[in-house]
Amino acid sequence: MADHTAAGLAVRDLVIAPSASAITQEVAPGEIVGLAGLDGHGQELFLKMLAGLEQPLSGSIELGVSGTFRKITGLRKAVASGIAYLPRDRRANGIFPTQSVLDNFAVSTLSRDARLGLISPAARKARYNIYREKLSIVAPRPDAPITTLSGGNQQKVLLARALALDPAILLLNDPTRGVDVATRHVLYEVFRGLAADGMGLVILSSEIAEILLLCQRVLVFRENEVAAEISGEAMTTESVISAMFGRAA
Amino acid sequence: MSPLARLLSLGRSVGFAVVLLAVLLAVNLILSPARFQPGSWGALVGLAAPLIGAAIASTPVILAGRGGIDISVGPLMGFVNAVVIQMLFLKAGISSPLLLVPAALLIGALVGAANGFLATIVRIQPIVATLGTYLILTGVTLTILPAPIGPAPAWLKTLSGPLSMLPLALMFIAWWLVRRTPYHDQLMAVGSDDRAAYTAGVDVTRVRFIAYVMTGILGGCAGLMLTALIGSADPNIGPTYTLIAIAAVALGGVSLAGGRGGIAGAAIGAIDIFLLQSVLTTFNVSTFVLQIAYGAILVLAVMLTALQERLAMRGR
Repeated sequence: MADHTAAGLAVRDLVIAPSASAITQEVAPGEIVGLAGLDGHGQELFLKMLAGLEQPLSGSIELGVSGTFRKITGLRKAVASGIAYLPRDRRANGIFPTQSVLDNFAVSTLSRDARLGLISPAARKARYNIYREKLSIVAPRPDAPITTLSGGNQQKVLLARALALDPAILLLNDPTRGVDVATRHVLYEVFRGLAADGMGLVILSSEIAEILLLCQRVLVFRENEVAAEISGEAMTTESVISAMFGRAA
Repeated sequence: MSPLARLLSLGRSVGFAVVLLAVLLAVNLILSPARFQPGSWGALVGLAAPLIGAAIASTPVILAGRGGIDISVGPLMGFVNAVVIQMLFLKAGISSPLLLVPAALLIGALVGAANGFLATIVRIQPIVATLGTYLILTGVTLTILPAPIGPAPAWLKTLSGPLSMLPLALMFIAWWLVRRTPYHDQLMAVGSDDRAAYTAGVDVTRVRFIAYVMTGILGGCAGLMLTALIGSADPNIGPTYTLIAIAAVALGGVSLAGGRGGIAGAAIGAIDIFLLQSVLTTFNVSTFVLQIAYGAILVLAVMLTALQERLAMRGR
């Protein structure tokens, strides 16, 4: 089983809830994997375990980047290994309402702007501008409070924060929730671009249409287990919905 | 950001405190021009310095949020005062600033670390943890020094007048350096929303612990400033600074919920309180009335700051 050959994220015999069967999955570089399921059926728990935010009951998560393999045992380990996580509820778990756009962007990668221990504002602004352009963030000034931005642009700043970590695997927890349609399509393009550049993406979405549009493969969760793994042609709204409700497709 | 815009944004964050500062300064200049003539400003700064120092010291833990507060800053100042004069200067005969200053800062750091340990690692509510330290330090100070005693080393006494700007300037420079480090951004992020900070990979416990240590070090410095002003050791003065310092911090626009403000605001709040004290003493009112005035101004200031914030949010 433990043949360390493939790069990417390897999940082995992961048990996410008592008396649920184990999950073994891999996320290859450049792949976009969707997570679907009715709310509370384990898909969010699974994603958080990949991010190191929750501890699994048993099993292991390993990330292979350029020949080295590291076990993910916690959030800090996950971040250090190259896993970035975009939380779901951006008001409760994402933004710092009293801080500026720039501070919100840089919080995960503060030390990268340090010159001899002191922050260089110019370096930080330069770093931010790269992502502002890439994600077409509409913000009046980088030093304006983040609360002056629209929901979609706040989300883009959070995505920029995660991308600034240069992750090998990006975990997205319902990234387009409460985001306007135009911004959604910008985000879809960005996700596709990231995958094309070799990043592995895991997207949890409450909208099946979104998963069908973006993902090559979807894991449908039911009662804290992967009830179905659907890919390619077989991936349709009907098949995903029937798996969500536990009916044979 | 241009210097002007920076000044404006500072004004917005400090808000009411700056307006109050201008008003109180004007009132003081009219009421007692002799006391407030330019030549005596140095002496006035000296009188206000320990309060400014105590307010600055109280700021870091408050910025760290989630009920972070250190009410042991006042007793810490008294403890440093007693240890430096009674134990080190009079008993052990140490008078060199090269030894006394590091000793005071070290005491502050240790007390801050103890507070930080209780509040962030044992996870006792900060107000309860530091209340414990408050009582312990007050008691220990009275044990070391049951009655006031003097004098202070000559070099320390010279820091009481215009030269009290020196420790204040050092505090500001130290904070200015902290502001430029990655730590400051983590501190503000933790104060703003600790769950979001955790999810973003910030070590919340470590950041808060360091905030307590910084408050302790700054408190040790404030204790030296108190020693300079009174030129002796007095076990009863230190604790009186605690609540007034926290009032000054709140007045200076530092949100007690964390993540908003800085030491400039806290210092302005402290100067406000000092000037208010000065106005009321020219009217010869009793100290009881003084307390009532502090309370009223504090509530008013916090209300106006909240109102100002709400208006600013609506404007967006």
